[in-house]
Amino acid sequence: MTKQGMLDFVQAAVEAAGTPDVVAVLTETRTASVRFGQNRITQNLDVFKRELQLTVGDGEKQATVTSQRIDIHALPGIASEARALLETSSSDPEYMSPVPAGQVYPVIEEAWDEFTSECPATPRMEAVGKVIDAAEAEGLTAAGICGMHSEQVALATSTGNLAAHRSTSADLSFTLDRGLASSYISLNGTAWNELDVDPAIGTVVEQVKMNEDAMELEPGDYKIILEPEATWNLLMFLPWILDARTADEGTSVFSGMEGKKMAGEDFSLSSSLMGGRPANPFSGEGLPAEDVVWFENGVLKNIPCDRFTAEKTGRPPLFIPDTLDMDGGKGSVEDLVAGVDKGILIRRFWYIRFVDQKTMKLTGMTRDGVFLVENGKIAKPLKDFRWNWRPLELFSNILRIGTAQRKAPGLIPPVVIGEQHYPFTD
Amino acid sequence: MKQLVQRAVEILRDTGVDYGDVRAELIRTENTDFRNARLDDCRTVETEGVGIRALVNGSWGFAACTGLNKEDVDAAVGRAVEIAKAAGSRGKVELAPLDIQQGVYSGPCRKDPFEVSREDKIALLQKASDDMMKDPRIKSSYAQLWFEKRDRIIGTTRGDLIETDLIFAQPTLMATAVAGGDAQSRMLQDGARIAGWEWIEESGIGSWGEKAREEALMKVLADESPSGEMDLILDGLHLSLTMHESVGHPTESDRALGWEANMAGRSFVELSDQGNLKYGSALVNFIADNTLPSGVATWGWDDDLVHGQKWYTVKNGIFQEFGSARETALLIGKQTSRGCCRAMNAQCFPINRQPNFYLEAPENGVTPEDLASDIQHGIWIEGRGSFSIDQRRESFQFGGDLFWEIRNGKKVRPLKKVIYRSRTPEFWGSLDGIADKKHFRSMGLLTCGKGEPMQSARMTHGASYSRFRGIEVGGGK
Repeated sequence: MTKQGMLDFVQAAVEAAGTPDVVAVLTETRTASVRFGQNRITQNLDVFKRELQLTVGDGEKQATVTSQRIDIHALPGIASEARALLETSSSDPEYMSPVPAGQVYPVIEEAWDEFTSECPATPRMEAVGKVIDAAEAEGLTAAGICGMHSEQVALATSTGNLAAHRSTSADLSFTLDRGLASSYISLNGTAWNELDVDPAIGTVVEQVKMNEDAMELEPGDYKIILEPEATWNLLMFLPWILDARTADEGTSVFSGMEGKKMAGEDFSLSSSLMGGRPANPFSGEGLPAEDVVWFENGVLKNIPCDRFTAEKTGRPPLFIPDTLDMDGGKGSVEDLVAGVDKGILIRRFWYIRFVDQKTMKLTGMTRDGVFLVENGKIAKPLKDFRWNWRPLELFSNILRIGTAQRKAPGLIPPVVIGEQHYPFTD
Repeated sequence: MKQLVQRAVEILRDTGVDYGDVRAELIRTENTDFRNARLDDCRTVETEGVGIRALVNGSWGFAACTGLNKEDVDAAVGRAVEIAKAAGSRGKVELAPLDIQQGVYSGPCRKDPFEVSREDKIALLQKASDDMMKDPRIKSSYAQLWFEKRDRIIGTTRGDLIETDLIFAQPTLMATAVAGGDAQSRMLQDGARIAGWEWIEESGIGSWGEKAREEALMKVLADESPSGEMDLILDGLHLSLTMHESVGHPTESDRALGWEANMAGRSFVELSDQGNLKYGSALVNFIADNTLPSGVATWGWDDDLVHGQKWYTVKNGIFQEFGSARETALLIGKQTSRGCCRAMNAQCFPINRQPNFYLEAPENGVTPEDLASDIQHGIWIEGRGSFSIDQRRESFQFGGDLFWEIRNGKKVRPLKKVIYRSRTPEFWGSLDGIADKKHFRSMGLLTCGKGEPMQSARMTHGASYSRFRGIEVGGGK
């Protein structure tokens, strides 16, 4: 649909709803991807979706209907269903009317790449073909996915706000194996041409070779070198639990910690409209996105806050607009390795879960490349191991930060963490 | 919807594909969610769409659209064929043989939950939520009734045509207590079932509020876990997750083939292990069963149109066979598929998923207390908690939801922050007692994540209380 067509549709949905309060969000996405494993293509997809979310309210209670019948003639039926559902709903002491009129939404045109939005098959096939050819030439086994994605969103509120945004993304991630040796890489960008495919293949092939005949890690004290992917793996739980309401309830690690130091001087985390990954300019209820610093030099500066909690507590309503950047420094992973006398280089983590939510203690495993570093060089590959860590404690002990790289959420750097004692399971 | 499928199949057949199928789904989901004793989400979600698989020269093309609009479906057929051809010689798909399938399957449902008024659902959850919040130390509560009606029609260029209609139901309750600088939650649920409102009535959710409140308080005030090597008594709800991670995933054929190496991971189980790998003690019998009444993977046919089946995954401790799809069966040395190919919805490509499966329980009259009576020092664990396993599904760490310390055969005190670690064959090898089948409990899981793009899938697992010897405990503080 065109932008105007989508805006017309959500406005028509608001009108059709016939209730005092309405928020209508229309989303249109296309995902085209090639998946491969065992050096063969296993999936080849092109999926197109449209979906309307219609939230209606009467000042005391609300209800939501989601439908994939995106047809102007279907709107009366969807609206009727929403009103019927509203009738059965119950009063909500936390009821919030739609955001007031006059919201100003940032325009983020950099989030869209026309070529990527067209999801052409040939570049994906060529990239996957290169990975599989390289694997076969080296006697390796390749698995991965290569995709392009486009999304358009339009939003209208009964208070008169109207917004639209469109974005694209492209990604290639793959794993190469030989026996128990493996390596992995993930390339992410807004546009297909941001993915530097050829060097990535060469790098991963070499890393698999380095990962053969892995040894058990000996007990002892080691510095931890996190590649950007591993840094993000440890950070990815933060957006899930960084929340004012749960902090106020006393159930999270952030309870009573606003304005206090929770990590080291070198740890700063923010969301920027024009950050490493362009932001979504508005939330699902029509709040405009803004630049927000969550952690500054280890201090919890801001916390995402729903509108009800914001009104109740005097905080600003805030949300994470699908982008996070961790401040980086200077230097590549290799530069960081060169400065470590005895440490462990970790490429990627796997299956991270909470052990204790209250203290944000996590557990997980390493995967696809762990190396012992001695005297500034990779000495030998290590077998995967389990760890139970509190990431905020790790980020209180940062020795060095390298240059941030584009990863799924935004810019994420490699870091060196001070000594930890192995086994890492208490 | 049926006419739409048949029409699309005709168009697909006319393109000359080697094989093609058209899957239309209409899914209606209803959420009633309470948070802190107020209705937080009153919602229906209706998703509908068509997914088309086209097989050309050994390569799949899959295209999908939302809605049931003829023009969109026609366009999707064209895209599926186009991208299948674009794959060139990179695909090598060979499907296991299958007789033509035609028929209708309806899941068990005695009382349609969509016919029960929303007011009744709200009243039930309001009471449960109020019960949870009666103690001021309960700082957070959550209660949900979730229902889904899923109608599916699949037609193929071979002439297959099946129709299924399934209703899923799941009640959930959770209370979180805060005291002494700690926060602990207690979640009550037996998971989802293919069933109607009768499952809500049978579950006893009306009395769960008080139980969740009291057990959350007991837990937050409990002592922390001791560490060391101990024996464990694990209930069926807890084991549903342990077996899901350490038995279900490593015995998926696509993992063993390396197709999930980039995401969900590989398997420590090799193709050559079928029929000879010692997976556990002689008491360990895992039965895969996609005919299990109310099991959430009991769909009549999978998305490959293979009928639900029942077989041993592990028999007398020996691994027997991977769960397979038509595409993987021949590659693992089998002539037919076990019917484990399912997609999340019409917009997703069907992939190899776990079947329903469970640890077979005996009729031996043994109670859970009998099992505990033979333990000097151990821990009794109920429900699901923290869980993590390596990508080869060999080395894991699990928590739980409710814990008691066992001393000299008796439960002596509640505990919190208990985790244990083991390795798959050693863990199942340490099982030396299973309580009578009347203590069997099952759990229907709705959110097994796998694949790229990620899909969630459903399956039911279960067990009776079981005893494990000499497991490493600790590290959850």
